[in-house]
Amino acid sequence: MTTARRGHPVPLALAGPAGLLLIVEALPRLGLVDARYLPPASRIATALAAEAATPAFWQAVADTLYAWATGLLIAVVAGVLAGLVIGSAPVLRALTASTVEFLRPIPSVALIPVAVLLYGTELGSTLLLVCYAAFWQVLVQVLYGVADVDPVAEETARSFRFSAWGRVRHVLWPTALPYVFTGIRLAASVALVLAVTAELVIGAPGLGREIATAQNSDAVPTMYALIVVTGALGVVINLLTRTGERRLLAWHQSVRGEVAV
Amino acid sequence: MRRRSLAGLTLALVAGTVGACSSDEDSGSSGGSSDGVDNVTVGVIPIVDVAPIYLGQAKGFFTARNIAVTMEAGQGGAAIVPGVVSNQFQFGFSNLTSLMIAQTKNVPVKAVAAGVASTGVRGRDFGALVVRADSPIRTAKDLAGKKISVNTLKNIGDTVTRESVRRAGGDPSRIEFVEMPFPAMPAALAGGQVDAAWAVEPQLTTIKAAGGREVASTFVDAAPNLTIAAYFTSQKLLADKPGLVKRFTEAIDESLAYADAHPDEVRQILTSYTKIDDGLRAKLVLPKWPTQINRASVQKIAELGTTDGIFTTAPDLDKLLP
Repeated sequence: MTTARRGHPVPLALAGPAGLLLIVEALPRLGLVDARYLPPASRIATALAAEAATPAFWQAVADTLYAWATGLLIAVVAGVLAGLVIGSAPVLRALTASTVEFLRPIPSVALIPVAVLLYGTELGSTLLLVCYAAFWQVLVQVLYGVADVDPVAEETARSFRFSAWGRVRHVLWPTALPYVFTGIRLAASVALVLAVTAELVIGAPGLGREIATAQNSDAVPTMYALIVVTGALGVVINLLTRTGERRLLAWHQSVRGEVAV
Repeated sequence: MRRRSLAGLTLALVAGTVGACSSDEDSGSSGGSSDGVDNVTVGVIPIVDVAPIYLGQAKGFFTARNIAVTMEAGQGGAAIVPGVVSNQFQFGFSNLTSLMIAQTKNVPVKAVAAGVASTGVRGRDFGALVVRADSPIRTAKDLAGKKISVNTLKNIGDTVTRESVRRAGGDPSRIEFVEMPFPAMPAALAGGQVDAAWAVEPQLTTIKAAGGREVASTFVDAAPNLTIAAYFTSQKLLADKPGLVKRFTEAIDESLAYADAHPDEVRQILTSYTKIDDGLRAKLVLPKWPTQINRASVQKIAELGTTDGIFTTAPDLDKLLP
């Protein structure tokens, strides 16, 4: 199922980035793009090394990861709780459906003025944007998950007089869990994007602010170096959530890859 | 002049209302007066213009006056006016056009010290209109009907650009302004997306180093020794803590005077809050940092901006300036 088990995984996984590096190195060197605006990969790497030697850089990485993790945690807890409650009560579901559909597509960045007003350029601004964007990802997935409960299983649990908590624990939760993980995975990426965006636009501490400062300073290779770092963080976060998902859902058919009879 | 958007100002209005509603809530972060030291946060933009405050901090001009100053530097100049009005920042740095827009909308702000000024030297200022080396544009007159990038529409960039074109005998009403962040301008100019760029340092030096030609020193054209930006605070802080504001103004004045007299130290302090590389840092044109706001020059910008429709009503400088 995953390439990791099919053999030759590492060379293939590295071929993509290596190809990209070659292209970025070649384009400016061949004069196809202006090296002042897109420096060759080697110069970006040099700038990255210089940045990595400064404590400010690691502080920025830590700030971004902290904002990301905190925002994601809040969004996941809130999204799962709200999803379970709304999803298991048809009345609530009907009541909130249009509201959710109305609020969900509002871009988080549109809330920047509100965030600034409430929290200035501090962590709170970033958290507001991150939570808003990530919450919907989780909520909607949990709602799907709850809706996916097998009516027969639900009826069976009822006839066995499972308590409300028992039905959540033994019927609802196992069905919804894979959806929850999908929600978390989607939310994790979105949260990173929004964390960096908030820092970039508002000036909250973190990698985004460092990128903005590099832009303002005309430090083009440094700017790309920092962008590469955010990309790399995205890859790491995605790998971690996927691994976590596989481990924790090892029992589930979507991961076992077997068709239940 | 930087990154101030209309949205930011609208927000400032809202902030003003909110601030008025919650006036019983005491100023949170400026309250820390234990052992007589006031903690003060200043909203700035990480550019050359604010070097004096960093230098003043390093030199102890603020601590000598019992002020512990922290700079909040972000891309978003848009955060500064609302930040000051809502007391997230006790002071802020903003260009005077933005402050005048705020004033005409009754946002309760007050300038307390000069910020940055034009060098007043044609061809040797920290902001200018530039074109590509091979551009047919020779003087500001040729700019009529052309596409010019400014960092913010309806702000000081278009006011001074129009004035340069007008003075050169061109028709300023035919300019097509394009809004674009300063860092994007060198590439846009080289790529031909715009015919001219209204750039400031360090992008100005970058563009010139790539062969760009200056066609107008816009700040010099607009008014002699133009004051471009100022440090400001909220009317509320001014009323609640006049002593703190006075000490802050003194510290800023000392910082400005020191920066103006020590350009080498200014270039050095840039390494602490920007990422401008050494080559560029040595070359860029530093602005002037007089301690007085040149009122006549601000008046001129107010008049030009009123003519061009940037201000809905004429700004009241008595209310805004110290």
